[in-house]
Order: sequence, then C-alpha cells, then structure tokens
Amino acid sequence: MTGALALAVGSVASTAPASPVVAQVTAIEASLLAFVVLTALATALARDVLAAVIVFGAYSLGMAALYTFYRAPDVALTEAAISAGVTTVLLLLTLAKTTRIDHDVAFESVNLPAAGAAGFLFAGLLLTMGDIPAIGSPDAPIWSNPDVTQWYLTETYAQTHVENTVMAVLAAFRGFDTFGEAVVVFAGGVAALIVLHREVFA
Amino acid sequence: MTDAADDTDMTDTATDSEADASTGEGAAERDDAEPDLPPHRAVPRSGRLDSEERQGTPYTESQVIMPTVKVVAPFAFTYGLFITFHGSGSPGGGFQGGAIMAAVVFMIAFAFGIESTRDWLANTVVVALAVGGALAFAGIGLVPVALGGAFLQYDLLPIPVLDPVKYGMEAVEVVGIAPIVSGVLMGLFFLLARGFNSDGDGFGNGSLDEDGSIDEQQRDEESIDVPDATDDAAVADGGHADDAGRAGDGAVDTETASSGGDRR
Repeated sequence: MTGALALAVGSVASTAPASPVVAQVTAIEASLLAFVVLTALATALARDVLAAVIVFGAYSLGMAALYTFYRAPDVALTEAAISAGVTTVLLLLTLAKTTRIDHDVAFESVNLPAAGAAGFLFAGLLLTMGDIPAIGSPDAPIWSNPDVTQWYLTETYAQTHVENTVMAVLAAFRGFDTFGEAVVVFAGGVAALIVLHREVFA
Repeated sequence: MTDAADDTDMTDTATDSEADASTGEGAAERDDAEPDLPPHRAVPRSGRLDSEERQGTPYTESQVIMPTVKVVAPFAFTYGLFITFHGSGSPGGGFQGGAIMAAVVFMIAFAFGIESTRDWLANTVVVALAVGGALAFAGIGLVPVALGGAFLQYDLLPIPVLDPVKYGMEAVEVVGIAPIVSGVLMGLFFLLARGFNSDGDGFGNGSLDEDGSIDEQQRDEESIDVPDATDDAAVADGGHADDAGRAGDGAVDTETASSGGDRR
C-alpha cells in the first residue's frame, strides 16, 4: 500500500508538478465535476420527489467516481455502497408509502433571495481557493505532515502487519473510536425500532 | 382465495378483515405480513419467495428483473465477502462489505417482494447479525483487557500460529463491523418497508400488529396523549385544567377519562 501510494503520488507529481489548480483538471475530472454539480442542482430543484431521489443517487455515484479518481478508494466504496445504494433504496422505499403527485413543471422556480445568498456563500468560498494546495501536491500539509500522515504510512506495516493503512487506522490505531461508531450504528437500528413502534425488525 | 381477491376491489377496512378471514391457511402461515398493507395492496399471497403477484405494488414478477437478480446476487454477495475479508490488503473493510451484502438482500427483496424476503430472512437472523456483531467486537476488545492489557490490544490476543495483530483486526472487521452494518441496514430496510405502527394516521393506514395487543397499547397511549395536550393548552386558565381538557375533547370515552385521571 505504501509503495502504491508513493507510486501514485510520484505519477501525479510528474504529470503536474506544482502547477495551478486549473491546469491540473483533466477531461475526465472536469466531466465528473460537471456531472456532480449538475446532479446536485437537479436534486435541489427537481419538483418531483422521486426524480430528486433518483438524481441524488446519480450524484452519489458521481461522487464515488470522483473519490476513485482522487485515489480514495475506501471512501469511494463507502459512498457507492451507502449513498448511491442503500440510501437511495431506503428513500425510494419511503416514497413508495406516499402518494405521488403529478407536476406540470419539472423544476421548482428558483427563489431569488435564496439563490443570491447561495451565490454570496459560493463567492466567499471561492476567495479561499487561492490558499488551498494543488490536488495531489506533495507539499500539501495533509500529505507532508510528518507527525500524522507520514507516521501512519511508515509505521502501519511495521506495527500492524496489514497493507491497508486506512483499515489499520480504523481498526487498530483508532480501534476504540471504531467500536463507538459500530455501537452508534447498532443504536441507530434500535432507535428506528423505537421510533416506528416495532419490536421486531423482520 | 379468488373471492378475497375480488373483494379487495372495494377498498374498505371491512373488506380487508373478510379477506383475512377467508384465506385461513394463507393467513395462518403469513399472519404477520397481511395486516400492515394499505387496503389497496391487501391481496392474498402465497408463501413462495418467487410467486409474488400483487396489484398496486412496484414488485411484480418480471422476466427481466428476477433472472437478472438470480444471476447477479451470488456475485455481488461474493464481492461483499471479498471486500470484508480482504480489507487488510485492499480497499474496503467490514463497513463497506457489510453494506454491499445488505444491498444484495435489498436487491433480492425488490425482485421477489419485500414481504416474502422478510419471511425468508427471519427476524432472528437480522437481530443475531446486529447483536452478535456488537458482542463480538466488544468481546475481541475485552479479551486483551482480561489478559492484563488495554482494550483492543491485538498482540495479546490468543491466536495460535497466525499473526495476532493482523488477524485480530480481521476478526474485528469480519465478525464485528460487517455483521452489525449488514444486520442494521437490513433491519432498517424491513422496518421502512413495513411502515409506521399506529392507528390510521401512520403510513400503513390500518392496524399493523399481529395479535392486536400493540393496537390496544397504542390506543391507550394516544387517548392519554389527547387530553394531556388539551390540558397543557388549558393550564393557562388556572385550576380548571382537568375539566377543560375533558370537556374540550368530545370523543373521550370513559376508559380514556379514567386512564387520564390515573396519570394525574
């Protein structure tokens, strides 16, 4: 895993060494980003709830592809399985219990004050873009940090004998946190039983 | 069976009870699946997983969907197992693998009907997965504590021959996290498919429980809640809160009044 990561970073650094962010965007990346933005807008504006749920699933799939593109396969797997798969199914299941309303128009009319507020927020976020390190830059603090990232990458195999650093962090270095998260998932199931006034799952 | 199917054209709760009564053997083996459906879906069904033909539901016997799911499901399930078991050497782990395995169950349910799948995959399995996973994770964490170490100190695990750190982590992923996630997701799926359990105003639009006990309980709780709410609104008037609350709700029966009085 460490070798693969070093190789990945090496390839990124060789193709785009410390150039501005815009210059790094490839065609695949640009189309994925455009797809994600368009599906997000369609999700927000779709008048029909069923259409919004389906487009939201497409958005999650696009995000999963984007995570894969940025070499975060663990996050991509989670996004694809949970967001694109399970969440979409659960939302569809809930919609199947409701009555579908036929709408004449496909999209909501845009609320201009809300759109203006969102535009201001977007512009404010754009102002911070100059300080964000380039994608895949070896100088990015999150990568070059010797106390956290590099320490985990160098010490994971020596201490836990597994190749997947993400899993080593989750299951070994931060195992107690993961235990808490697993119990939270379990408690979520119990809470759903209580909220829906049921005593059995199936 | 055919009589009941014809009767359900008249969407009425009385017709539903007739349908339940006339399909004696069907209701006996599937007594928990019938009453939770809204009236327009209450068509008698047989217990076979692949013989689901109901009107008004999105799940019909499709010559495309069912064979496709039959072909795809083993591979998708194997992929989930691979993601779970191979999490130490490749991307993935218990959370992702468990979610994929739960998604396989969703897929089967959409092809063969949710109620049939729920009967096929008993509640015991779902609960055993979730509870067993949580207990296994806690147990693996507590074994090193019992041996004098810290919680989840893998190198103290008594695993012979194999590397205790690597296979301790694998054990946490495989028997801890993956069963919790898959069990809870399946449970959420079946719960949402069944709907909200209440009288009339919930998703299910009818009596949702098997033996009527929850209904009674439910009715009591709701009838308690109604005068309480009016009482709260009337508290501002002063000492006549009880009278105002009972007089304000004309539909309160004697049981309600007495149970409301018992609470106070």
